[in-house]
Amino acid sequence: MDINSRPVVVKRMPERLNSRTAREFLRDVRPFLAADRPQLVFDLSLVAQIDAAGVEMLLRCMSEAHKRDGDVKLASLSDQAAVVLELTRTERLFEIYETSTEAARSFSGFLPNAMRQQLLHNKRSTTQPIAA
Amino acid sequence: MDIRGILLANSEHIEGGGQAAAPLATLEVAGKSTLQRMAERLQQYGISSVSAVVETVVPLGVRNFGLPDVSCVSAAPDRFWRTAESVFNDMAQSGAELVVLVRLGSYVEVDFEKLVQFHLDRKERVTQMASDEQKLEIFCISASRRNDAASLFRTQLAHCRSECPLFQHEGYLNPLATPRDLRQFAIDILTRRTQTCPAGKEIKPGVWTAPGAMIEKGARVLAPAFVGSMARIRSGAVITRCSSIERHAEVDCGTVIENSTVLPFSYVGAGLDLAHSVAGMGRIVNLHRDVTVTIVDPKLVASMSVASGKRLMTSAAEALTYLPRLVFQGMFASTKAAQPDLQTTLRQTSPALGTAAGFETSACDTEASHKFPNMVVARRYGHQ
Repeated sequence: MDINSRPVVVKRMPERLNSRTAREFLRDVRPFLAADRPQLVFDLSLVAQIDAAGVEMLLRCMSEAHKRDGDVKLASLSDQAAVVLELTRTERLFEIYETSTEAARSFSGFLPNAMRQQLLHNKRSTTQPIAA
Repeated sequence: MDIRGILLANSEHIEGGGQAAAPLATLEVAGKSTLQRMAERLQQYGISSVSAVVETVVPLGVRNFGLPDVSCVSAAPDRFWRTAESVFNDMAQSGAELVVLVRLGSYVEVDFEKLVQFHLDRKERVTQMASDEQKLEIFCISASRRNDAASLFRTQLAHCRSECPLFQHEGYLNPLATPRDLRQFAIDILTRRTQTCPAGKEIKPGVWTAPGAMIEKGARVLAPAFVGSMARIRSGAVITRCSSIERHAEVDCGTVIENSTVLPFSYVGAGLDLAHSVAGMGRIVNLHRDVTVTIVDPKLVASMSVASGKRLMTSAAEALTYLPRLVFQGMFASTKAAQPDLQTTLRQTSPALGTAAGFETSACDTEASHKFPNMVVARRYGHQ
């Protein structure tokens, strides 16, 4: 197995993620994104409000990281953030973990449990339509 | 026999903070509110004189809540029960012999004929309905027994001074206490588990549309589904799995609505994926996660004005500013970069490698790429 020795940057996202805070957040993480093969984890546990600008900023970070062979992973999604990411079809573009630790650890190896949440979600979606 | 009906709609049943603005009974599901459906049901059983008392924060006096043959009275929350009692007294004075009292709340497909017969056979003052030992807020009251009725109204239907025998209900029942119940009600109507139907025309099996519904070319509506009057489904949108788009709602281009209800006068933005939810009034109630999320971004979910004049003004302003906006965007937008072809992209040096390594490295510089132009070389990530 390839042992990853590069640092993983864990960043907690602000409570309100609108165009202004998204810009500020992007300015903060830009140095990390500019590094060689950046590895970032965004902790969304505090996020109570997120709009289209916030989602766009996440996508921008991901695209910047991918350009440099790196990745951005999300962790500890609040319900609000999860609903908006689902709504904007962006949750499927990110690897999402229960905790920041799990997300950081996932950079050094594949976690078989990582997909469990996603699989459960998919299984529920394909069942008969009932009010959840 | 003079039998009359009173429908009560107040917001005491709301839980979960989903739809706080109005009683759930006044929210439309598949084109009609529970209030409308229950009024129609009473009229089907020959109870033609029906009054409705609806709780509103701002009292509006006598108002039609989409009920043409029903006299509706709106009442402030603190005067709701007093208003209901005075409506009952007015009915008794004007010659009613029996009054059927229904508090919405829950939607129950009551057999009123059997209920009245049970009440008359047992010569009771007040009869209450129940379902599996659970008491329902549906009563049959002898109009001459005003004191019994007064005791009911003054305790908010909790107690009656005389003993109420229970009439057992056997049929459809939805408590309509939470947004989840509201969603289940839409599913039950669309899958015909209820006797009540969607308010519209069945344009193809399982797809109902109300008059004025606009489904643009390229939009897909898959059965079972309902599109309300003046609702607009834009091109590329998909409505599927028992979804209900209520009147004057708009689903923008490319959005997928799956197993969800879009409330009246709500806008769902372009390119979204709304699943297992009730959306509207600037909020999304996600039933999988059991969470209510306030959406502040009007590009995602927004409320439209109920006033038709205001909506017309907004549409006119949008139409007038459409061309200037395009010109403005054309003048100031950055020039779109030409899309490089696949071979050029593959032959480009990775930005992470180029200067950092101190020499030019090609990501794909093999002879094979010339011999097999259709072959794609995928670059693996460093840590994989």
